[in-house]
Amino acid sequence: MSIQTLLMELVLMPLVAFVVGLFMVLMLRRIGAKLQRRVGPPMMQPLYDIVKLYSKKTQISHGWMHDIGIIMAVGGYVAAETLLPVPGMDGIADKGGLVTLVYMMMVPSLGLALGVGQCANPNGSIGIARALTSMLAYDVPFVIVVFGVAWYFGTTNLVDIIAIQQAGGVAGWGAITMPLLAIAGLFALQGMLGKQPFEIYIAPAEIATGPMVEMSGKYLGGLFVMQCFQLYTAGVLYVSLFLGGGENWLFFLIKVFAVVAIPMTVAFLFPRYKTEQMIRLMWKWPVMIGLLGLAFVMH
Amino acid sequence: MTPLDELLLFSGLTLVLLLLLGRFSYAGKVATVFYGGQLLFLAKMADRIVDGSIVTFSLQVELFGQQMSWRFDALSWFFAVITLGAGLLSSWYASGEWGERFRRRGGNLWLLHVALAANVFSMLILLGSGDLLALFIGWELVSWASFLLMTVAGGRAIQAAMRYITYAMSGAMAILAGIVLLWSHAGGLQYGQIIDVIPQLSQPQVWWLVALFGAGFAVKMGLLPFHLWQAAAYAETPGPGAAFFGAISARMGLYAFILVLVQLIGLARLSELTIPFTFLDMRDLWAWIAVLTIILPTYIALRQNDARYLLAWHGIGQGGYMLLGLVMGDALGSAGGLLHVFNYATNQAVLFFAVFAVMFRTGTADLNKLGGLITRMPISFFAMLVGIIGLAGLPPMNGFVSKWFVYRSLMIEGEPLLFLGAVIGTLGTILSVYKLIHNTFLGQLRVEHVEVREVPWSMVAPMIILMLLIIATGVAPGLVLDWVALVQSAVGLPVVENTLGGVELASGSLDMLWVVGVLFAGFGIGALLFYSGGRTRQVHQLDNYAGGHFLTAETRYHYSDNFYAGLMHLIKPWYRGSFVWLESTLGSLLEIAASLMQRLYGTLHPSLYLLVTVVATLTWVLL
Repeated sequence: MSIQTLLMELVLMPLVAFVVGLFMVLMLRRIGAKLQRRVGPPMMQPLYDIVKLYSKKTQISHGWMHDIGIIMAVGGYVAAETLLPVPGMDGIADKGGLVTLVYMMMVPSLGLALGVGQCANPNGSIGIARALTSMLAYDVPFVIVVFGVAWYFGTTNLVDIIAIQQAGGVAGWGAITMPLLAIAGLFALQGMLGKQPFEIYIAPAEIATGPMVEMSGKYLGGLFVMQCFQLYTAGVLYVSLFLGGGENWLFFLIKVFAVVAIPMTVAFLFPRYKTEQMIRLMWKWPVMIGLLGLAFVMH
Repeated sequence: MTPLDELLLFSGLTLVLLLLLGRFSYAGKVATVFYGGQLLFLAKMADRIVDGSIVTFSLQVELFGQQMSWRFDALSWFFAVITLGAGLLSSWYASGEWGERFRRRGGNLWLLHVALAANVFSMLILLGSGDLLALFIGWELVSWASFLLMTVAGGRAIQAAMRYITYAMSGAMAILAGIVLLWSHAGGLQYGQIIDVIPQLSQPQVWWLVALFGAGFAVKMGLLPFHLWQAAAYAETPGPGAAFFGAISARMGLYAFILVLVQLIGLARLSELTIPFTFLDMRDLWAWIAVLTIILPTYIALRQNDARYLLAWHGIGQGGYMLLGLVMGDALGSAGGLLHVFNYATNQAVLFFAVFAVMFRTGTADLNKLGGLITRMPISFFAMLVGIIGLAGLPPMNGFVSKWFVYRSLMIEGEPLLFLGAVIGTLGTILSVYKLIHNTFLGQLRVEHVEVREVPWSMVAPMIILMLLIIATGVAPGLVLDWVALVQSAVGLPVVENTLGGVELASGSLDMLWVVGVLFAGFGIGALLFYSGGRTRQVHQLDNYAGGHFLTAETRYHYSDNFYAGLMHLIKPWYRGSFVWLESTLGSLLEIAASLMQRLYGTLHPSLYLLVTVVATLTWVLL
C-alpha cells in the first residue's frame, strides 16, 4: 500500500466513523421516541446540536486540564478508528491489533476522567469513580471474549480475523462458531456503552449527570462527538469479532446499526443498577458464560 | 584494567568520597557527578556486551578453597544501567533544595548519601557475581545496604526496616541452604560446575533447590506470601531513597532468579517438576504466584490513603508482571518481563519524585489532605500524569509496550486465566492511579495550599528526564528491546526479533511509531476541533454547580475519601488480612517457643545442662 493511500485512509476512517456515529445517535433518540410514543428528532438534529454547542457564546473552562481532557477524549477515539478495519480500508490495523485497540479505547476515558477531575465538582468526581468502577466490571468479561476470539482465530490482527470469518461464509462468523462468547460480548457491550441499566455514573437525578455536570458549550459538544465515536467503535468492534466484519459497506452498516440497536433498545426498558449490583452482575453471568465459551473454544 | 575494574573501583571511590564529604552541602552534586561517571564506565563496556562477550574483574579471591570471581554479562549490564540511572537521578533530586530542607528538618543527609552509594556499590557487586559464593556475599551486602537506607528516617521506618531484615535474613538462610545443597553435589560453586551437575540431580533434589532459592529470591522481590515487608519499608524511606528503592531494589531478586532458576537450572527443568496432588508443574506455580502478586498488592494499593504507600504497593504488584512474562519462557513473554523492569523503573521513579515534590511543598502525602495542585505545580502534575499512564500500561507510554508483550505471550501460549489475572491487575492499577492523581492534583485547591509553588529545578530536572525517557521508549521501544534481546541470548532464552517500533509477528504485530503517531495526530484533530469552537472563559474553582447553594472557601468541595465507595461495598469483605494474620501467628509461635526454651534453660537446673553439653562435646571430639 502506498503512503498516500494510507494517509487518505487515516483521514477517511475517523471521518466516516463520525458521520456514522451521528446517525447512531439519531437512531438512539428515535428508538427512545418510538418506545415512549413520541415523534423524535429530525435527521440532522445530532449535527445541529454539535454545531450549536461548539458555537455557544459562553464557554466555561475550569482550567487547562479541562480543555486537554476534552481534546484527549475526542483525539483518542479519532486514533482508535484507524485501528478498526472497515470495508476497503485497513488503516494501521495490522500495526496495532486487538490488544492495542482495547487499550487505545481507554485513552479517551482517561482524558475525560482527567478533565472532569479538574472541574473540581464532587458530582463529577463521583461520576468518574463510578465510571472507572463500571469499566472494571465490564472489562473482565470483555477481555475473556477478546482472549477467546484471539485464540480461536490464532491472531490479534483484526484484518485477519475478519478475513478468516468471511472466508467461511455466515457459518464462519464468530457468533456462529463461538455463540457463548458472542453473548458474553453483548453483555459487556451494554456496559461499555454506559446505557441503562448500567448508567450509574451518569445518574442525572442523583449526581447531576456526573462527569457532565460542569460541561457546557464545546465541552459538552466534545463529549457529544466522543459519544458518536464510542457507539461506532463498539458496534464495529463487535461486528468485526462476531459478525464477519463488512463484505461491503451496505452489509457492514446494516450489521453495525443492528448491533448498536440492541443495547439501545434494552436501555429504555430497564431501570438503573447500583454500582455494586452492576459489578456483581457483570462478574457473574457474562463471566460465567464467557469462561464456558472459552472452554469450548480451547478444547 | 578491565572496564569492570574501573567501574567497581569508581563505585567504591564514590562510596568512600561520600563517607568523607557527605556532610558538606555540595555532597549531593558530587555524588550525582560520580554516578554519572559510573554510567560512563558502564557505557564503555557496551561494545563488548553487544559482542556477547563477558567483561571480567581482575581481582579474584579465594575463600575456604572456593575461587570467587566477578564478571559482567548482558544480564548484569542491563540491571546495572537501571541501577545507576536510578542512583544518578535520585541523588540529583536530593542534591539541591530537597537535601537542604531535609537537613534543616533534622534529617541525616550524610547517612542518606552514604547509604545510597552503598546500595549502588553493593548492587553492582551482586550483579557482577561470577559464582554462587560471590552471589551470596553480594546478596548479603545488598540486604544490609538496603537496611541502612531504610533506617535513615528513624521512627516507623526503623520498624519497617527491622521487619525487612527479618524477612531478608530468613530468605538468605534459604539461599545458603540451597548453595550448600548444590555444593554437596557439585563439589564447587562455579556456574559451569552447577550447570554440569543439574542434569544428574534427581527430581526431589531439584525440587528442593528451586524451593530454597526461589523462596530466598521471592523475599526480595516481595512475591506472595513474602510481600508484607516491602510497602512500609520503601514508603517510609525519604524521597530519593524511596524512588531508588521503588525503581530497582526489589529487582535484585529478579536478577538472582533469572541467574539461578533460568540460567543455571533452566525453565525446561522447572516444567518437569510436578506439584503433587495438582495438575500444575513448577513453572505454572511460579506463574500463578506472579499473577497473585499482581492482583492482591494492586488491590491493597487501591485502598491506601497515603500516596507513598499506594505507590509502594503498586511496586510489589508490578513485579508480578516481570516474573509472569519471564516464566512464560518464550521470546515475547520474557522480553516483556525484562522490558518491564526498565519501563517500570522509569515510571515508579518519576511517580515517587512527583509525590515527594508534593510533600516538599505541602508537607503531606495524605490523599485526603491534598487537591487542586495542578494550577500550582504543573510540571509535577505532568510528571505524575506520564508516570501513571505508564504504570497503568496505556498507550503511548512505555509501560503499555512491556505489558502488551506479556499479554500477547499469554495469548499465544494459551493461558486465559493468567491473562485474565494480569488484566484485572491492570484495571485495578488504572483505578488506583486515577485516585492518586485526582486526590493530589485535581479537584479543589485547599486554602492552605494557595501559596504553593512549583518545586525548584534540582527536583524538576530529574522528573523531566524521566518523562522524556518514558515517552521516548514508548514511541521507540526498540531502543530498550535491543538490550533485552542481548540479555535473552546471554541467559539462554529465546531471543525476540524486534523492530524499532515493537515487534512483527504473523499473528499480530505492534508498531508503536505508528500507534503513537496516529494517537498524537488524533489529539491534534481534537485540539483543532476544540479551538475552533467559541472563546473560553476560565472561572474560579468555587464558581461551580452546587445544587443551588453558594460555595465558599470554607466548604469542603473535594471528593476524596473512600473514592471507590461502590466497588468497596462489594469487595471490602474480601480483604481479610490473611497474610498479616499468618505473619503474626508465626511471630507468636516463635515467641512461645523462645520463652519455653528460656524457661528450660533459666529455671531448671542450668548446671546439669552445662555438664551434659560438655560431656557430649568431649565424647564427640574424642570419638
